[in-house]
Amino acid sequence: MNEQSVPSGIDPKLLEILVCPLTKQALRYDREHQELVSAAAGLAFPIRDGIPIMLVDEARRLDDAASTTRPEGAAQ
Amino acid sequence: MDQGLPTVFDRRALRRQRTRAAAGFARHDFLVRAGAERLADRLDDMKPRFARVLELGAHGGILRDSLAGRAGEALHVAADLAPAMLARAQMPVVVADEEALPFATASFDLVLSNLSLHWVNDLPGALVQIRRILRPDGLLLASLLGGRTLEELRLCLLEAESEVAGGASPRVSPFVDTRDAGALLQRAGFALPVADADLLTVTYPDALALMRDLRGMGEANAATARPRRFTRRDILVRAAAIYGDRFAGPDGRIHASFEIVTLTGWAPAPGQPKPLRPGSAAARLADALGAEERPAGDKAPHG
Repeated sequence: MNEQSVPSGIDPKLLEILVCPLTKQALRYDREHQELVSAAAGLAFPIRDGIPIMLVDEARRLDDAASTTRPEGAAQ
Repeated sequence: MDQGLPTVFDRRALRRQRTRAAAGFARHDFLVRAGAERLADRLDDMKPRFARVLELGAHGGILRDSLAGRAGEALHVAADLAPAMLARAQMPVVVADEEALPFATASFDLVLSNLSLHWVNDLPGALVQIRRILRPDGLLLASLLGGRTLEELRLCLLEAESEVAGGASPRVSPFVDTRDAGALLQRAGFALPVADADLLTVTYPDALALMRDLRGMGEANAATARPRRFTRRDILVRAAAIYGDRFAGPDGRIHASFEIVTLTGWAPAPGQPKPLRPGSAAARLADALGAEERPAGDKAPHG
């Protein structure tokens, strides 16, 4: 079995090639909050159980830091 | 995202369908296994080895089991729209949408997609994005459901609904035409594009069992034009009866067609084999055929 080095951490080889799905720009890995931050798009993509969720619907908007992610209502 | 191209498929509905299907997927995966076999066969014919592989629309990584290291892969990433589909995959996984790929340019040597691209709204756009994440001379190998898929069910539902409700709405998702698929690859900038199709016939006790299986594999209708409410029970029952009358074998089991279109295309690179320029031939075709050459537009005499 392939044990991940960091529990619930993201695979480093995967981290190297991930970009923002909208802008295709590089992402900043926020280890503490387990997020991949796209400054260009103003979005933070969550990492849940080590799986990066690279969907715009699921991303947190950076200008609205206090709100929690609401997949159904976020797009409006 | 809401403006511009018309949206045929509801990607959120598809995501919900896949999430619901994930737990029991192993009981309904024959189609995905059939698609995976075709891709593995194609790969067996390829000489190059592919170190970095992306499986797009991974359905839990079935394809990697079929490949079993045959591609020579060192990194195998699985991507799917639904995290639940990736839960059991023993590899780096990412939740991603084929319509907005989150990978850097030239990240992969091989992109595999097994029976997933038929759900994409903007197939040309998705193909362009796939070409971008391939290194030059990288390979796209994909299977998707073609236009003859579920033609029997489509017909029966249409007929049952117009009988029972006096009107009809699309209840089976539209699929790509095989002839168009090759042209799309070319338009997306792939070199040496090949598209071919084969028809798989599956039998079920009745049409309701077929519909249950479709839901089980997460392939029920996700067209945005689909009715918001569930299909009425009386319409389904009538459709099943019509299906049984028209498409049952001597044993009483009904037949369902699935057309699997298999695509290959290479990201362009210098030194790749290319078709020759028109007019660059060194010998005349007429000589090779032993025929008399005539100017264009001149009709050959009858006889």
